[in-house]
Amino acid sequence: MAYDPKTGKGLGRFYDADHRAFKFREWKGLKDTLYDYGRWMYLYCFMAAQLGPYAPQMVKGMLRYRWLVPYLTAANMVDRHTIGQRGKELQYSHKQFFSVLHHSVIKVKEIMQRDANLNGNSKKAEALRNNTVMFDEMTPSLIMMGFPTLDWIDIAMMSVGMPSEVDQNSCVYYIDAIEHFGLAPDVCPEPATECGVAVTDDYPRVGKCYVTSSMPCDGAVQQTALMSRYLKDVDIFQITPPQRINEPEVQDYAVKNLKKAIKFIEDEMGVKWDWDAFWKNAEMYNQMAECMIEKWDVNATDYPQVCGAALALQREFEFMGAACMDKYMLKTDLEVTKMMHKGYEHDSKLGVNKPKYRCIVWACPAHYYTNFANWADLCWGVRCVNDMEAMLSYLPITIGDKEQALKDLARCYERMMMRSHTNGGYVNLLDELWKMCDRFNVNIVIMYDHVSCRNVGGLHGLFEDEARKRGIHLIWVPHDVMDPRTVSRREMRDAFNKYMINVFREEPLDPTLLDYEDNLSW
Amino acid sequence: MKDLKHLIYFENLLQQADNELVEQGRKDGKLALGYTCYFVPETLLNLPGCFSTRLRAPNTGSIDVGTYYMTNKICSYTRSILERGIEGGYNYLDALLSSETCQMMHRGHEHFELLGLVKNNPKFFMSMMDVPFSDSDNAVDHYEDQIKTKLLQPLHDVYGVDISDDAVRKAIEDHNEISAIITEIGDLRKLPNPPITGYEFHVLTLATYACPKRLVLDKLQETLEEVKRRVPDTDKKYRARVMVIGSEIDDPGLIKLIEDTGALVVADRFCFGSIPGRQEIPLTDGEDALTQVIRFNLKSTQCPRQCAQHRVQNRWDTAARLMKEYSADGAIYEQMKFCTYWSYERAMAGYIMPREYGMHVLSIDRPYIAGQSGQLRTRVQAFIESLEIKKINEGKGEAK
Repeated sequence: MAYDPKTGKGLGRFYDADHRAFKFREWKGLKDTLYDYGRWMYLYCFMAAQLGPYAPQMVKGMLRYRWLVPYLTAANMVDRHTIGQRGKELQYSHKQFFSVLHHSVIKVKEIMQRDANLNGNSKKAEALRNNTVMFDEMTPSLIMMGFPTLDWIDIAMMSVGMPSEVDQNSCVYYIDAIEHFGLAPDVCPEPATECGVAVTDDYPRVGKCYVTSSMPCDGAVQQTALMSRYLKDVDIFQITPPQRINEPEVQDYAVKNLKKAIKFIEDEMGVKWDWDAFWKNAEMYNQMAECMIEKWDVNATDYPQVCGAALALQREFEFMGAACMDKYMLKTDLEVTKMMHKGYEHDSKLGVNKPKYRCIVWACPAHYYTNFANWADLCWGVRCVNDMEAMLSYLPITIGDKEQALKDLARCYERMMMRSHTNGGYVNLLDELWKMCDRFNVNIVIMYDHVSCRNVGGLHGLFEDEARKRGIHLIWVPHDVMDPRTVSRREMRDAFNKYMINVFREEPLDPTLLDYEDNLSW
Repeated sequence: MKDLKHLIYFENLLQQADNELVEQGRKDGKLALGYTCYFVPETLLNLPGCFSTRLRAPNTGSIDVGTYYMTNKICSYTRSILERGIEGGYNYLDALLSSETCQMMHRGHEHFELLGLVKNNPKFFMSMMDVPFSDSDNAVDHYEDQIKTKLLQPLHDVYGVDISDDAVRKAIEDHNEISAIITEIGDLRKLPNPPITGYEFHVLTLATYACPKRLVLDKLQETLEEVKRRVPDTDKKYRARVMVIGSEIDDPGLIKLIEDTGALVVADRFCFGSIPGRQEIPLTDGEDALTQVIRFNLKSTQCPRQCAQHRVQNRWDTAARLMKEYSADGAIYEQMKFCTYWSYERAMAGYIMPREYGMHVLSIDRPYIAGQSGQLRTRVQAFIESLEIKKINEGKGEAK
């Protein structure tokens, strides 16, 4: 327990309304503080080692691209997610987050090596660009499993997705830019931000062609239309998986569409799809999915282990950003899974670390407040045992059977992040929630009320009706995904606090976390 | 101009979804098939023994219950349809054919199933199609499979509807017959001094969406002859000719509002308008009629849901072509508030159309029922004035 009732000191004291960083580092006891600090140092050393050789491009990049600057505060992101944590929980979080940042830093390095905006007439950079496929954030690059000689970079993930989770204010400029351009402010800020980066010409030019998609929602479809115009000097392919994803009759179309995407890459890049490489990568994908399922299984017990953002964010990046092809992520996955089983055995044997309340997180979360679930745990003892965002495609890819493997790959696209629940009808979003409540034995749902999301909003009343029938507490937490000015972190906490105080009649575990100002913080 | 003989009749038909002709159609033993989206091919809902009724919620008052179920961030058209459904306003339907195209209407229609909104008809069913995002050959094949599985087969299985190639051809012929009339009337708007206003034309077009087509055919035919003979006012009553482009408009009050400011709406490139929707479908003998309808639908849609580069370009080119064909002075890009597709399309068009096509554009968002909006009136008025001033200045330039 990080709160000391005698002194009244709690975790809230680390936040300062006038500063972006924490006021000071948390003392977690000698062993954990050393571990924590060691990881902090290791992260920055890793960043220096990877990006140091590209210092000129980094400097130019930071002057050219606003989204690049937040990467410098990556350690603060980890701090936000590890505050209050001790022992094995602290280690799970550090390992999970480092694997995400490890991947991101390498991708930033690849951008620095290739970007036409930063490398002038460099032949080397041009050669690298000619071997690179650019992807959109909401288009998993799993298709690259069969192209081992090519590189790929998810340009929107690196310039929008990741920075938005590192620094809460990183998207504000781009949102303003696209609204100034004429876009209605009521649309989802995620695709809007991606369009904002386009209208300010802030995308790095790192590849020969661009693969995008119609996923996961109407906003993403339209972002594709705008990006198609912005990147009109490169060839573009849109992967358009069917939406009625539960229905067997749509799957042939999904496979045909994917085959066209493969053909597009083959033609553009002058290479052939390599089945041997695909099988190898598919194997890796399957192992990672297996690790995820094991984490879910443990979290369904009374002694959940890898919880909150450490579970969800890592899976999102592993699947969406790294396309399950990052060996370091797999290594971490296997390591954390092993630690988790050991942790579970320890906790269940001694009957310790049982959460006071269990919850799951549903609907699209706020990028600018990824550690909300950690806060709910520290302040109220409500532990998030699973997150809708982590419940993306997990079924294995069949190894050895080419047609079936393509069907499986198509299914991965259909059931990518968010889309696995928001497409295909209410059964995937509404009915699935109640199934997950049963599966994870929870009666509290942190219901992210994304103020611009039509998809989840369109079922709002039915969620209410059904939850009441089932005696499940839906705690609606409003947010605006990338724009903390619409609903601040503080207001999100306030919505949760009100429910806990008025409905549960609860007392906070750490009263200093009830209300504090962090609008300025990263 | 002299009033159109049947205008009040047509206006009255638009006062409720379940109007007298819908009732008449039901009494004649026809099936009432509801839909809201262009991606559900209207032609196929008019197979022998059926008629299509594009859902509207005219005279909508409070939409509080719709808002409870769907929140206030959902477009008011969807919420109004849901509210009307909860009130029992669509109990006349035999089936609701839908598609997972726009998120909001998709969710809205799901409520029909989940809340059991259509009462008194044990055979009522609803169906949800998967619609591709492009118009490629694969997409046409997929769309056709979906139409067969989700639309034709259930109609056949539940109600015994004839879904043969001959039946589809007959439906296309009927569609073409009514489209020919609307197109002929609509083409008169290309004249320098058209004998029909945008409001009147919208009322006629809307009636063809909201009623069994057979039952409006005679009066439409009569109206066509009347419009052809109609003598326009000698002095032009309008200050500028405009085209309206955008999302769903089923409220003629909005067109009236625009025209009350001195504009003449000469082209209706919006959902529930005639472009597209009231074009004749070219039919050949060498291919299944169904495939031809499907392909026509995917190729002719102007919905921003199709986001491939060539489709986006097609929309801009089409808008520019229509501007020229109808000699419009400017275009009003409108969207129903909260419509994501049109939010983006409108923003892009607002930037691209003036710069690359030299079009004068007004960009607005609006609620479902907007006929009384003073704010909107002021904006349109200012736009019309600006068009007028531009014309005056251009005239001065030419004189010099």
